[in-house]
Amino acid sequence: MPIEIGPRAAVHLLNRIAYGPRPGDVDRILRMGLDRYVQDQLDAPADPELDSRLRGLVTLDYPISQVLTLYNADQRSIGVILDELFSAKIIRAVHAQNQLQEVLVDFWFNHFSVFIQDGFVRYSAAAYEREAIRPHALGKFRDLLGATAGHPAMLYFLDNYLSRANVTVGGRLIRGLNENYGRELLELHTVGVDAGYTQDHVIDAARCFTGWGVDNLSTSGRFAYRPAVHDTGAKSVFGLNLPAGGGKDDAEKLLDYLASHPKTATFIARKLAQRFVSDDPPARVIDRAAEAFQSTGGDIREVMRAILGSADFWAEAFGSGKPKTPLEFVASALRGADAQVSNGRAVVAYLQNMGMPLYSCVPPTGYSNRGADWINPSSQLYRMNFALDVAAGAIAGVSADVRGMVRRMGGNSEDARSVATTISAQVFGKGLSRSTLDAASRVAPGGSVSVAARVTGLCLAGPEMQAR
Amino acid sequence: MAWDISRRVFLRGAGLAAVGVGFHPSSLLVRAAQAADAGSRVLVQVFLRGGCDGLNLCVPFGDPEYYDLRGGIAIGRGEVVNLDGHFGLHPALAPLKALYDEGRLALLPAVGNYSLSRSHFDAQDFMESGTPGDKSTGTGWLERGIAKVPGNAVTEAVAFSAQLPRSFLGPEPVLVAQALSSFDLRARNWRAEAETLLRAMYDARDDALGQVGRETFAAMNVLLRTPAIMAPPAGGAVYPNAAIGNGLRQAAQIIKAGIGTRAIFVNVSGSFDSHSNQLVAHNLEFPRIADALVAFARDLGPLLDDVALMVTTEFGRVAFVNGSAGTDHGSGHCMILMGGGVRGGRVHGSWPGLGRGQLYQDRDLAVTTDFRDVFAELARAQLGVDGSSLFPGYTPGPGPGIVS
Repeated sequence: MPIEIGPRAAVHLLNRIAYGPRPGDVDRILRMGLDRYVQDQLDAPADPELDSRLRGLVTLDYPISQVLTLYNADQRSIGVILDELFSAKIIRAVHAQNQLQEVLVDFWFNHFSVFIQDGFVRYSAAAYEREAIRPHALGKFRDLLGATAGHPAMLYFLDNYLSRANVTVGGRLIRGLNENYGRELLELHTVGVDAGYTQDHVIDAARCFTGWGVDNLSTSGRFAYRPAVHDTGAKSVFGLNLPAGGGKDDAEKLLDYLASHPKTATFIARKLAQRFVSDDPPARVIDRAAEAFQSTGGDIREVMRAILGSADFWAEAFGSGKPKTPLEFVASALRGADAQVSNGRAVVAYLQNMGMPLYSCVPPTGYSNRGADWINPSSQLYRMNFALDVAAGAIAGVSADVRGMVRRMGGNSEDARSVATTISAQVFGKGLSRSTLDAASRVAPGGSVSVAARVTGLCLAGPEMQAR
Repeated sequence: MAWDISRRVFLRGAGLAAVGVGFHPSSLLVRAAQAADAGSRVLVQVFLRGGCDGLNLCVPFGDPEYYDLRGGIAIGRGEVVNLDGHFGLHPALAPLKALYDEGRLALLPAVGNYSLSRSHFDAQDFMESGTPGDKSTGTGWLERGIAKVPGNAVTEAVAFSAQLPRSFLGPEPVLVAQALSSFDLRARNWRAEAETLLRAMYDARDDALGQVGRETFAAMNVLLRTPAIMAPPAGGAVYPNAAIGNGLRQAAQIIKAGIGTRAIFVNVSGSFDSHSNQLVAHNLEFPRIADALVAFARDLGPLLDDVALMVTTEFGRVAFVNGSAGTDHGSGHCMILMGGGVRGGRVHGSWPGLGRGQLYQDRDLAVTTDFRDVFAELARAQLGVDGSSLFPGYTPGPGPGIVS
């Protein structure tokens, strides 16, 4: 079959900077022009329709202190609060107009990962995403880095709230330094594990942050700097030398230094290219993105523009695709079936079974950014079942009228081949293989589950849907 | 080791009965021959993610430096479960003492490799690829091991994990499952049609996505046609409701069902990265480990003779307590080894000491046994695989003598 470049390119773009196309999206963005769609996504204007979908989730905007107050009054309240956070994540992924923003909020949360079941993180994860991640997802990397470094959720998760200048009594350490954040700041958040820093640099990075903590973990949960426990000695971190006598600004200077370090530019560029281009992105696109990072002072919007403007990004439109993570698969299947999500709770359970429970990566490394890591028989079975359930309307809180959708898109909802062709055009840029189309077209007429639901379910469960 | 011919034959027979449904007699005969060559021993690896501290797991209470270094998080001489006058188990691991005394459980402290690094991700990656310091290795060590075992049924290698573990990365088929139960398509009223058409879609592709589709349906068929897999724990075994308990419970199910499984990986994440309040973290995690291992041994009964299990982690932790009653990332860790062929009732390896000049980089427990020597020894015993070719660029030594 000859490839039609327009639909294929549009679907590629929607698969990479969005959570996949909804029926109608391909024609819409081809009409407006792909450049303008990209610009819209980079601008991320107001989205009143999404706001109204989220309006019922009243706890989303609660400050940490309010969450703690509610929890202290009734411990069951935290269940409701987490449910709303999870539900909002699914609703945003499926319904937000500013899809790239949602993709990047997910990317950066995962980059600066905190595990929501870890103590105080339960009460502060929503605030962490809202205050530290979301405002900077398309902003300056230094702002993002600083917002995460000083956020109570991160200070707790990587133990920095406990870290302080060493105190010894009779030669025995009583309280003192905790290396956890200092190490992950270098390894995971900025220059990367292969940058060449040493164990001594890890220790001195941690010393820069002594005194950065949380005022009270059970009532207010606010950032607090305690000068009395700051290690005021001289420090040396990977080329940055700080004289003795510093205070809170030791850490700020270290963040300035790390955010503008060329190794950070490359580390972040590679990771973004891995998300948006391919599991093993070509050096050319990494260099291009790193150069944009450095020349703009770490402006994420410009790094994205560099990646999306690269030949390597567009070449992927005609490759075999990058395997989807469970979240990417689930969101794209919901969008592909034109589903409406009013409550994401049931969807969250599927993600758990696929090995990617929301906000729940235990190690600070975050979930794997490589699509290939997510492909295995167990996950595959849950993916297929999810697709079949979505199309059949069998998921609580989710409605999908695939017959109506097929008709609106000009197909015959009672004819298997017509449904398959419609799905191929709307969701795959006419990219479904002959074998997938033929198999889906063999769905028998009649039956208690409609032809449209069965064919759509099979197309969304098939091999082409597993990659983007 | 006690090599029970009758059990071996029994297992092989059960496996053939299960796998054989739907196959032609000729392929049955081929499989019978392969199974006879390969034996029926099983290698089980439990991987504790996060860097589990070895010094509070197998406590060197006889080393005078231990109490100075560990301060407030040291396990007291009166609390440890004395093993040999020098080492003792953490009190939460006390249920393991009976297995130790019966000679079916051993400890191996000071194991690791300095090139593993103190990064969780790198250390896990290096350990699972079996090539510390080299990130370019495209396969996992267990995959290379299982590739040398005849046959390529999807149930030969099983991982209880949400993701394919790096240890199994490579072309060999692997069944990755979180739960063996309800491993089926959920298309009410049209299941047969759904399976036929989905199979057609995946069979048409020869890429990785096609392969995973075929593996999924192959696994589904074996699991659905082997109801014995769903047998409840035997011998009154009670598994803890935690990742290690659920993983080992299902590992025992699949071993007992006798479908030719040779290597099992159990992925465990938990509170092992104990940078703060380590005593609390261990009081949560260690009872789970002990209860799961005891239940596994009880559940398998005499079948444990054919099993060797190792509990591993990516690195140990700093020898001294940190500033928040925890420990930061270190080097040498401690393995727990269990099984019929394991030379149990002893603490293996050589103890490097905790004194000044004995610690690695003045902070970590030193490494005296390379983890690859242990992996090679167990692969030789359980998979019949020559360990000398398992690790590119490394020829394992004779090993610490874990298996008899």
